[in-house]
Amino acid sequence: MSGFNSPALALRLLGREWRSGELRVLILALLIAVTISTAISFFTNRIERSMTSRAAEFLGADMVISSRSPLPDLYAQQASAQGLRTSAQVGFSSVMASDSEMQLSSVKAVESGYPQRGELRITDQPFGEERTTGEIPAAGEVWIEPRLLNQLALQVGDSLEVGYASLRISALITHEPDRAADFYSLSPSVLMNLADIPATRIVQPGSRVSYRLLISGDAPALQGYRDWLEPQLEVNQRLTTVNDDNRQVGRALGRANQFLGLSSIAAVVLAGVAVALSAGRFAVRHFDASALLRCMGLSRRQVLQLFLSQLLMLGALATLAGLLLGWLVQWGLIALLQDLLPPDLPAPGLQPLWIGAATGLTALFGFALPPLLRLGSVAPLRVLRRDLAPMPSSSWFIYGLALTALCLLMWQFTGDLTLTLSMVFGGAAAALLMGLLAWLLLRASAAPLARASLAWRLGSGELLKQPAAAATQILAFGLIFMSMLVVIILRTELLSNWQDQLPADAPNHFALNILPEQADDFAAQLNTIGARSAPLYPVTPGRLVTINDQPVREQVTKDSQGERAINRDLSLTWAAEPAADNQLREGSWWPSVPDEHPLVSIESELADSLGIKLDDQLGFVIAGQTLSARVSSIREVDWDNFTPNFYMIFSPGSLNDLPATLLTSFYLPSSERAVLRDLTRAFPAMTLLEVEPILEQIRSILAQVTLAVEYVLVFVLLAGLTVLFAALQATLDQRLYQGALLRTLGAQKALLRRANRLEFTLLGALAGLMAVVASELATWALYRFALDLEWQPHLLFWLLAPLAGALLIGVAGALGTRAVVHQSPMRLINRSH
Amino acid sequence: MSDNVIIARHLSKVVSSSEAELTILDNVSLQITRGSSVAILGASGSGKSTLLSLLAGLDLPSGGEVELAGKVLNDLDEDQRAALRGAQVGFVFQSFQLLDSLTALENVMLPLELAGRRDARQRAAELLDRVGLAARTSHYPQQLSGGEQQRVAIARAFASEPAILFADEPTGNLDAATGERITDLLFELNREQQTTLVLVTHDARLAERCSSALHMQAGKLLEPAL
Repeated sequence: MSGFNSPALALRLLGREWRSGELRVLILALLIAVTISTAISFFTNRIERSMTSRAAEFLGADMVISSRSPLPDLYAQQASAQGLRTSAQVGFSSVMASDSEMQLSSVKAVESGYPQRGELRITDQPFGEERTTGEIPAAGEVWIEPRLLNQLALQVGDSLEVGYASLRISALITHEPDRAADFYSLSPSVLMNLADIPATRIVQPGSRVSYRLLISGDAPALQGYRDWLEPQLEVNQRLTTVNDDNRQVGRALGRANQFLGLSSIAAVVLAGVAVALSAGRFAVRHFDASALLRCMGLSRRQVLQLFLSQLLMLGALATLAGLLLGWLVQWGLIALLQDLLPPDLPAPGLQPLWIGAATGLTALFGFALPPLLRLGSVAPLRVLRRDLAPMPSSSWFIYGLALTALCLLMWQFTGDLTLTLSMVFGGAAAALLMGLLAWLLLRASAAPLARASLAWRLGSGELLKQPAAAATQILAFGLIFMSMLVVIILRTELLSNWQDQLPADAPNHFALNILPEQADDFAAQLNTIGARSAPLYPVTPGRLVTINDQPVREQVTKDSQGERAINRDLSLTWAAEPAADNQLREGSWWPSVPDEHPLVSIESELADSLGIKLDDQLGFVIAGQTLSARVSSIREVDWDNFTPNFYMIFSPGSLNDLPATLLTSFYLPSSERAVLRDLTRAFPAMTLLEVEPILEQIRSILAQVTLAVEYVLVFVLLAGLTVLFAALQATLDQRLYQGALLRTLGAQKALLRRANRLEFTLLGALAGLMAVVASELATWALYRFALDLEWQPHLLFWLLAPLAGALLIGVAGALGTRAVVHQSPMRLINRSH
Repeated sequence: MSDNVIIARHLSKVVSSSEAELTILDNVSLQITRGSSVAILGASGSGKSTLLSLLAGLDLPSGGEVELAGKVLNDLDEDQRAALRGAQVGFVFQSFQLLDSLTALENVMLPLELAGRRDARQRAAELLDRVGLAARTSHYPQQLSGGEQQRVAIARAFASEPAILFADEPTGNLDAATGERITDLLFELNREQQTTLVLVTHDARLAERCSSALHMQAGKLLEPAL
């Protein structure tokens, strides 16, 4: 029509529909989708930033470039030019000497600005009060670990010889943020000023020195710098970032991110289901309007245009409101949690807004478009013949569009295309299977139900009359339950996984350099003070030099873990039995008849990175002697557990003639730290290393992550419930109409109530059953392919899910259909057309 | 342009079901002059509603053709027919067909807005006043009685000043007294606007008020048009 102005009219019609309350369900569904994904994105974005900054403390910076030779000045210049902070560092091992004693120490020469992340804490006296410092040792001064003071029999204020320089001990280090990076190098730390390096004359060409450049700044600049740097890195230069540095924190962070991403996906699936259902309802309720508009002279295209522009406006409106709401919810969440979260929580970035908006519009067009397109094909003749419903859109088109939308959203959340595709298609296959199963179940129950009481027949009649439609409904509710179940299961698994990783009594002290003859005394003493300890392991330092008679240096690739392992002495041990948590991947443990040649069991990651296979001959240099051993097994080691772990374990007797000391780890509550002084006095040669601060750091990060996970879970569950009600609402029209008819035919309210309850309970139980089957499949696939966890069936859920489904939908359905038994039947029948 | 605003030539409508072909309309020809009022009478299933849907261009015949306001409907596609309806045709239905989500006023405004008329609100209000519903403008269809709903539908039908008004059993859902008042209203407005009225009914009293009547039986027209 000539004067037809689609957007303006669409807006006016939308306003009218809004007032009439017709759009509530669709708006609600969209609003939930956008709010949830925005809030989760905001929340996780901030928590993630906070966690990343905590993890950066372990590195002392956001990224570190390290090399055995001096780094080009260009690296630092380029970083400064990109607005990043830089701080140079030189590290080396050196023997510290006092008048009477000597001790190998790891020395770090730093310049101002160290540390860039985390804090350095010092004290003036052993066991004195510690304080945080923003300073570094002044030129001519040195800060050392308290245990070095003991070992060298020195006092604060004394001089320490570092190479040719004599530096005054001005403070003791109690907490060094980047200590964890060198967790397995156990020599005591010495911190000095970079300006004093020339005076030490230690750093000469060819000397074993590690040059490090600490770099920090905001994320985009870091990424830009990284992109610039990586192509330039030489073979001997290594870039370490927060994500790939620390095993314990890195893995916890990785899992948490995966969980939060998956939760967002669950929320999106929920929203998608809700949008699809409510858009379907919207479309069906507007068939008449569409036919009427065609009667009044609108073309097919114009009708479609009218409804699509309404859809777009609705989407824009719900998206904007959802973004705002999501932002508010996130603030509320942060405010609720302020005691538990770090005080300096970084402000959220803008990215969550994009994610929220994309979620809203993708869900809208992916899930709402197909049902709405039917509105364009309503025949105008429908005004005379109400039975004329438009042809449904091709199901390939509908599901194809929805799947594409899901793919896009998941890809956005996970950033992993393979994972996304396998999840979407795995999920689609599961959904298909679920639908088929539901249909079969319904078909199978038709015969027995036909002989049941009237209430049963009425209740099940709706479901049985159109098994395909009922299966679709069960599928929709099943998907909702499944999303909730998967998130519950993952959360439980993650938390218990972390708990196992760091139990409250995880060893918080390492004792090394225990002399063999003192081993029994030491064990007895530990026993007396009530410390729980791991076994005592004999340790001898040694270096791997050849693999099958080839020098090992030739076989190491850039950036490999192997490089780290061969550039320093490894702690070698021997044991009759493997440690409890080591698992043999290849080969077998020692033969019962001792082999005359030494055998060695190697840790799997090191073996992979050095290309070592079973039966390879490894050559070691240990205390000046060479030793050859055959690889008899390859072990997987759990590095997260804070008990002594070894790359190389030899067969008993292999290292018999070599000097060794003993090593163990134990747990002592921090309240009993005083006894440590007695222990150090009783065993002066022993080195005691406290890992409590590292544990604390990791625990606090895990506590944060746990919190995030818990709240996201609550979020998803709430979203699930809301969507459930919205979805139920969408299926009510037909039921209300039927109920009204039955009442006019004289059906008692009680009968209708019972029939309704039965129908919804049946629906809920079936949906719960579907959900548990699908979530088992989904978690199995996730554990196996994405999370690297061991999967076990969740038997309890097989019982609980159908029960919970029956209860939830039963109650919700009974509430939703109250109108059937309370309102005048005539009113309902009138309203329904 | 001739004086005949509607011409049907040898119309037939056949639908095929799974068992057999069913002839709903069999070789119907008629002419309706501008400004006249014609009743199409017949029992249920006689094919009168089908005839209406063909005359109004809501459906296409299996055979024969319809000329509406000088245009042969067979030559037009669905969208062109829609445009023709928008410009020339108004409808009143047995089941009112008001949009539940719009108020009485908004329902009447709809065709005016579709035509892009700026005075839609004012004109709709006038029409509602004319049908005696000035006090009910902001009510939703659910809040109106059947008779009131049909008045809204009549106001809506006349809103766009159509040349032809098709009415399908306009009093079918109403009691006798209410039906009488609705009929009065329909004919009054018809006179005022000089609309051509085509009215499908099985109510002989209603048919008597038309200037001519056509009788349908088993898909055939019994008397030729006057």
